[in-house]
Amino acid sequence: MGIEVKNLTKEFNNKKVLNNISFKVEDGETLGVVGFSGSGKSTLLKIICGLLYPNSGEIITPPDADIAMTFQYSALFDFLTVYENIAFPLVERKEFRGKYSKEELKQIVAQKLKIVGLQGIEDKYPSELSGGMQKRVGFARAIVTNPKIILYDEPTAGLDPVSSTLIENYIVELKKELNASCLVVTHQLSTIKRATDKAIMLYEGEIVYKGSTQELLEGKNPYTHQFVTASIKGPMQIKSL
Amino acid sequence: MINVKKTLFYQGINLFWSEIKEFLITLGNIGKDFVRTIKAMSTLRVDRKTLIEQCSRFSVDSLPITLTIVAMTSIIIAMQIAPELAKQGAGNYVGSLSALVMVRELSAIMSGFAIISMIGSSYASEIASMAVTEQISAMKVLRVDPVEYLIVPRFLSGVIMMPFVVVVSTFCGLVCAAVISNITAEITYLNFINSMWHGLFVKDIFVALLKSSFFGGTIALISCSCGYSTRGGALEVGISTTRAVVWSFVAIAIWDYIFASVFYL
Ligand SMILES: Nc1ncnc2c1ncn2[C@@H]1O[C@H](COP(=O)(O)OP(=O)(O)O)[C@@H](O)[C@H]1O
Ligand SMILES: [Mg+2]
Repeated sequence: MGIEVKNLTKEFNNKKVLNNISFKVEDGETLGVVGFSGSGKSTLLKIICGLLYPNSGEIITPPDADIAMTFQYSALFDFLTVYENIAFPLVERKEFRGKYSKEELKQIVAQKLKIVGLQGIEDKYPSELSGGMQKRVGFARAIVTNPKIILYDEPTAGLDPVSSTLIENYIVELKKELNASCLVVTHQLSTIKRATDKAIMLYEGEIVYKGSTQELLEGKNPYTHQFVTASIKGPMQIKSL
Repeated sequence: MINVKKTLFYQGINLFWSEIKEFLITLGNIGKDFVRTIKAMSTLRVDRKTLIEQCSRFSVDSLPITLTIVAMTSIIIAMQIAPELAKQGAGNYVGSLSALVMVRELSAIMSGFAIISMIGSSYASEIASMAVTEQISAMKVLRVDPVEYLIVPRFLSGVIMMPFVVVVSTFCGLVCAAVISNITAEITYLNFINSMWHGLFVKDIFVALLKSSFFGGTIALISCSCGYSTRGGALEVGISTTRAVVWSFVAIAIWDYIFASVFYL
């Protein structure tokens, strides 16, 4: 089933941030979303997961689809431990309340932590972890309900190249594990290259490239060319830094 | 030609209007959050652990400050009236006067002020910082209702625990008043206690309890609501906290007036 976005338009204060955006992501497929800061990438993710409403357009997902999102700054609950963070939806969400025993929860949390390469940090608080570890705990929390759609907002921003690679590998692994449809918002070429199957590029609210990741990296279209060569000259102008 | 937009008058009106707008928005947010809270509470499924945590925080954590403020108020009043009344041969009235003033008015409002500064401000700032770090958004994406998880237990803790706080602090305040009257005006403890029961009616105690409950709920709701609607960063967290404190102060003053006019006019 995957996810389909049809003619999506979103305005903030009469300014179109997203203008008539359409694309489709199949099961087991990852779509990269690239574009300058302020091009509406986070807004797109927030609309898909229901945090914002579009002005017009449609988001088609399987009925009752569980949508997970990881946030740019992890957004871990800082008053809860790693264990409590990951178990949070299983403990607090209405449909799951009381469904899992303590033992089961412990097992699930340990298993999810293992998937993101972390073990034995259940009792730590988020503030005691490094940025990369926080991101991975955020991933574990997002996938604890086995979602079919996963949205990643700048998963590798601010990480060193090696940690980035680690995260990129986890994105690929999680997708395989859950056969999920994923959207990865990123600026980083390495992330596009390693973690996505196809990509779209946003500029001034419009899609200026839609196609395979391979082709985006070849940079044949003037927009993608400017992006992969990181050139100041080209069809895209940065209006706000 | 004068540029209308540059005149002092225009700018003054503009500033005034933006203040009014902000006022209305805050009022709207509080109203909206109140409705949401009531709706979330109507399922009657409150997370017991969080509720107990919040209740203990609301009462035990704030008690030292509340007791100090109420006791000082009570001591000062006894210090002012006891020698004066005793001099005029009305020493028998010291107890009843102290009790009346404390139970009807000062305990609740002084406890309210203490709770606003201790609990209200921390409710507002913690929820505001959760809002600006996207923790509340994350909660929504995880399909847990943040109103039910964050606001309901805090609101209930205010409604339930405030009367307790007021009772304890009133008791403590009156004990202090008795001691002070004894020291400054040689009024015996027995005299003080007898006179106290003369002055007080059950109605006074009932109204005081009801009023404290309203105060507690109002403080918790306003503080949570101001925090919840915060957007931006550290600066806005500060602004929201200040707003929560100011609004809570004004709100309980208004409640106090309403209670006084409804029950004692
Ligand atoms: N809640 C909001 N209210 C008003 N404007 C917003 C809001 N959220 C985002 N914007 C604006 O929409 C544009 C796109 O923002 P965003 O989606 O965060 O961009 P990106 O994630 O691509 O950097 C920006 O110009 C931003 O200022
Ligand atoms: Mg963004």
